[in-house]
Amino acid sequence: MSRTYLTLLDPLTRLVGARGAMIVSAEDGLVVAEFLMENVKGSALAALAASLANRVARVVETSGRGAPRFMQLQAKGGSVFVAPAPADLILVLFTGPETAAGAARLEMLQAVERMG
Amino acid sequence: MRTVEPWVAEPLNAFVTESSARLTLLMTSSGQVVAQHGFAGALDVMSAAALGAGIMASSQELAALMRWPPFRIMVHQGRAQGHFLCRFQTPRGWWIGLVVFGTDTSLGLIQLFFDQLVEQLLAATPHEEKPREVLTADFEAELNASLRALFGR
Amino acid sequence: MIDDIRAWTAELAADPSSLIFLRLGEALRRRSQIEAALKVAVAGLTRYPHLPDAHDLYARILSDAGDLERAFDEWDMTLRLAPTHAGALKGIGFLYFRAGENELAVQHLEAALQETPEDEGLAQAVERVRDLLQPPPLEAAEPELEASAPAPTPEDRVLLVDAGGLPIRGRLSDPTGVEIGERIGALLAGTAREAARAAGLLGLGEWQGLLIECTQANLCLVKPTPESFLFEVQDLDVPIGQLGLRAERTARAARRWLEAMR
Repeated sequence: MSRTYLTLLDPLTRLVGARGAMIVSAEDGLVVAEFLMENVKGSALAALAASLANRVARVVETSGRGAPRFMQLQAKGGSVFVAPAPADLILVLFTGPETAAGAARLEMLQAVERMG
Repeated sequence: MRTVEPWVAEPLNAFVTESSARLTLLMTSSGQVVAQHGFAGALDVMSAAALGAGIMASSQELAALMRWPPFRIMVHQGRAQGHFLCRFQTPRGWWIGLVVFGTDTSLGLIQLFFDQLVEQLLAATPHEEKPREVLTADFEAELNASLRALFGR
Repeated sequence: MIDDIRAWTAELAADPSSLIFLRLGEALRRRSQIEAALKVAVAGLTRYPHLPDAHDLYARILSDAGDLERAFDEWDMTLRLAPTHAGALKGIGFLYFRAGENELAVQHLEAALQETPEDEGLAQAVERVRDLLQPPPLEAAEPELEASAPAPTPEDRVLLVDAGGLPIRGRLSDPTGVEIGERIGALLAGTAREAARAAGLLGLGEWQGLLIECTQANLCLVKPTPESFLFEVQDLDVPIGQLGLRAERTARAARRWLEAMR
């Protein structure tokens, strides 16, 4: 696994409540790089996050409001944060409910910038 | 859906629903179709199954030549369509799944839910039946029985 | 008032057929002397069974006494005798309102108002019932708590859809003003299903919302009820942290509206 990608993911995994961070191929939903806690199913997270991101992209496109930059799926047990990245990749962060969304957003947008 | 083994129906149905696959064939490693679900259209299902089994067999030989472990998954990715082939063991022997999918789903989702399909098939396989061995002498009869069950001929 | 009651009582005693019983009965009713009012009204009705005002008086007293069923019958009789009797129209309208039959209530109250257009109290009642028939728009359902509270989202940026993606309320336009509600609704159903699947399969439980920051706007998808989704669009000058709060506010209004519709 690329050391560069792991370096990108490391700050995300240090957020309070973070359970895993990944770089995923947006089209395939396959893992490109991952940094996960033991009980997190990376392949499932990758596939589902990519699928959701693609659906959201279609909604945004139809709404005529530009392109998505950042997305948060909020649920009772935590969140999935997704940020589109260059080269048809997406950055995914999987967290518990205690993670501060503001901090997650900033770290992810910074990581996407570094990927560019 | 057509299936030779009724216990295959529910897991296969769940897989197609979740994965949005266009067509799924489950077959033995020799290419006998066990179940089929989806939009076959004018596709010659028997030939597709035979070719899929052939591709997996060739890839096993290639892996053996390279002294690698056998390949479990093969993917052919086109612009608008992909084929996913996966070999998995069941109490009835090695089976192969051939999944045809389009742009409304992804390889990741196909893999994710195919893994679940395999788990569900393993759980659903009736244990009281002994795995049937296909003897050469019975092969023709078995094949014809499969064809009749699948296509009502 | 007491002097009037004494005088009217004396007059009625002197002449039992006097129509003064109408004024006396009403005065006793207003003083909550229900038993006395009932005696006067019943005696008057016995003498004047076809007098609309007598039935109207009796109905008012019965209504005050809590006997709404008989009050309805008396006002109904009044209207049979005098179809445009304002008092009976008001009375029945009031009973329909109490029963939650606002459509029928407003019909009768409006008819009464036509007969007595100077009745300001009645005019206000009609307005109130009319408002109840048309629930407030989604964006105005929550009262503003302070002057600096954010302005409600315009209704062409809020879309409420059912589980199948069919628009229920609100509109959505793209930046050029083209209506896109139906297309977005269709996409939202699949997006919501995907969100639910992702949250479920990843062990996060029930999904609650989807916040989307775009290059030209911020979007939010929430679930007011298990069978509906609310999609809201906000300009970028609204902080994204506020987006979720606004969407929740609109979702609460949507829930109330949906309950009222049922």
